[in-house]
Amino acid sequence: MRINPSRIIIFLVLLFSILPGFALAYATPESIVAAGHVYVSRAVYDPGAFFSGDTGTVTVYVTNGNANQSIVVNHATIGDKNIRLTSNSYETSANIGPLQTQTFIFSVATDAFEGTYYPIFSLGFRDAESLYYPAVVKVDNTPLDLSVIDKPDTFTQGKKKTINVLVANPRNNNVTNVALEVTGEGITANPERIFIGELGTKAKVPVNVTITPEKATTALLTLSYDNGDNPHKKTMELPITFGVDKKQADPVISNVQVTSEGGVYHVTGDVNNAGLETANTVMVTALAPAVPQDPYKTYVVGALKPDDFGSFEVTFTAGPGNTSIPIELSYKDTDGNIYRSVQDVKISASGISVSPAVGSSSNMLPVAAAIIIILIFVGGWVYYLRRNKK
Amino acid sequence: MPALIILAGGIIAAIYGYLMGGLSAKMMADIMPGMDAIIYVSATVGALVMTFIIWLIAAGVFYLISSLFKGQGSFNRVLEVVGYGYLPQVAGSLITVVAAVIFIPGITVPTLTKAALEDPAMIEQVTKAFMHDPAMMMLTQITTLVSIVFMLWSAHIWIFGMKHARGLSPRDAAICVGVPIVLYVLYLTYNLGVM
Repeated sequence: MRINPSRIIIFLVLLFSILPGFALAYATPESIVAAGHVYVSRAVYDPGAFFSGDTGTVTVYVTNGNANQSIVVNHATIGDKNIRLTSNSYETSANIGPLQTQTFIFSVATDAFEGTYYPIFSLGFRDAESLYYPAVVKVDNTPLDLSVIDKPDTFTQGKKKTINVLVANPRNNNVTNVALEVTGEGITANPERIFIGELGTKAKVPVNVTITPEKATTALLTLSYDNGDNPHKKTMELPITFGVDKKQADPVISNVQVTSEGGVYHVTGDVNNAGLETANTVMVTALAPAVPQDPYKTYVVGALKPDDFGSFEVTFTAGPGNTSIPIELSYKDTDGNIYRSVQDVKISASGISVSPAVGSSSNMLPVAAAIIIILIFVGGWVYYLRRNKK
Repeated sequence: MPALIILAGGIIAAIYGYLMGGLSAKMMADIMPGMDAIIYVSATVGALVMTFIIWLIAAGVFYLISSLFKGQGSFNRVLEVVGYGYLPQVAGSLITVVAAVIFIPGITVPTLTKAALEDPAMIEQVTKAFMHDPAMMMLTQITTLVSIVFMLWSAHIWIFGMKHARGLSPRDAAICVGVPIVLYVLYLTYNLGVM
């Protein structure tokens, strides 16, 4: 077959016109010098520090330091065996204008252990050799810190207690979507989940959570957060043990006096708060078999601070045969939890508590005195009569 | 003269009755409103009259028992003796009135309701509680002991009086007076114990 030379020339012209960069590339001393003024101004990782197993991005900013000469680059990539490139390399030509900055964004992943790594960013020039830049990054497996800074000595069934938690970020990078969740069988937490949001490096946030346990159990505190786009969490178990709250309010009834008027008993007395916390809405009322009557079916003493006291009066009727009546004392703590205690008060129809033991012993003395008087009288007369008989 | 002694004792007993009647009136204020005057009058007059009745009863008992010992002398003579012998009890009654004036203000008196009036158990309970009031108990004990002491003092006089009034031996006179009086004070002592 005979080849037409003119056709060959036309083909080459078209080919060179399609691939001008490639066809026209060539290294000159000037272009090499110009490439020397191109530098990586910065490389930014997101997240700033990786956990082992995290994925992220790295943005490399390449600046053309030449004042009046553009630079053509045709290849860019990054990564090594520890910081693996998971996206494609840049394989197309790009023109970076004088004093302009071009960004190159790569997706990376790492399974490396904790440490500092230096994956190499390489940039190929059309008219010169390549640029290599170690883009330093840290792999840091330090989680967020979750610590309970204050909690009650003991919990009480059904009583709301507050725990103070401190969430801190000891890492060298910010984390986002930080949230604390409190769960557990038999507990009611309020709020169950607290959204904290972004937490800067070395920052800390105090969080208050109230817990109302129905049984002795373990509360699970789960702190979740995102390192870049990678979710992480940290958990902490908080034992919920029941016991007597040493600080709780302790209202005590004293100075009880009972009177009766028109068949209605009036019980008066004082309520002293022997605890270390304020007893709110202290109320006193009589329980069955007593039937509360006006005017004081229930007496509201009000709030009692520690070592404070208030008087009360309750009125009720009670059927015959009742020697004592349960008097209920109730109060609320600052969280609205209601506490009740019952104290029996001896009553009698005269309204005065009478102890049978005391009554009987007090009767013995006059009886003995009466018997002695009678014996003296009888004995005296017997003696007198016998003496006169003789 | 004996009748005057009894009258003096009756007047003092009436004063005591008036004071105790006040407690009863207070107890029944709800169920018998406006009946205070009746209660006061009945308690006062009752105490006065009862003094004379007891005088007669005591004289009668002594007379009857002394008859068993073939006692001589009239009933009027016995009445006279018992009247004179009542003099220590006048003094004793004065002491009980003083005690009442001291202790009655301290007695808490329960009030009977109309509903309680229909319930015998409630009435019993109220009465029992009234009697168990500490001040009331103290008053009862004091008045009972005083009564016993002065009653025996009177008995002492009555024995000598009966000996002469009915011509009895000292032994018979002592039995004639001592037995009923000792039984009576034993009864008072028993009540004191079971109170």
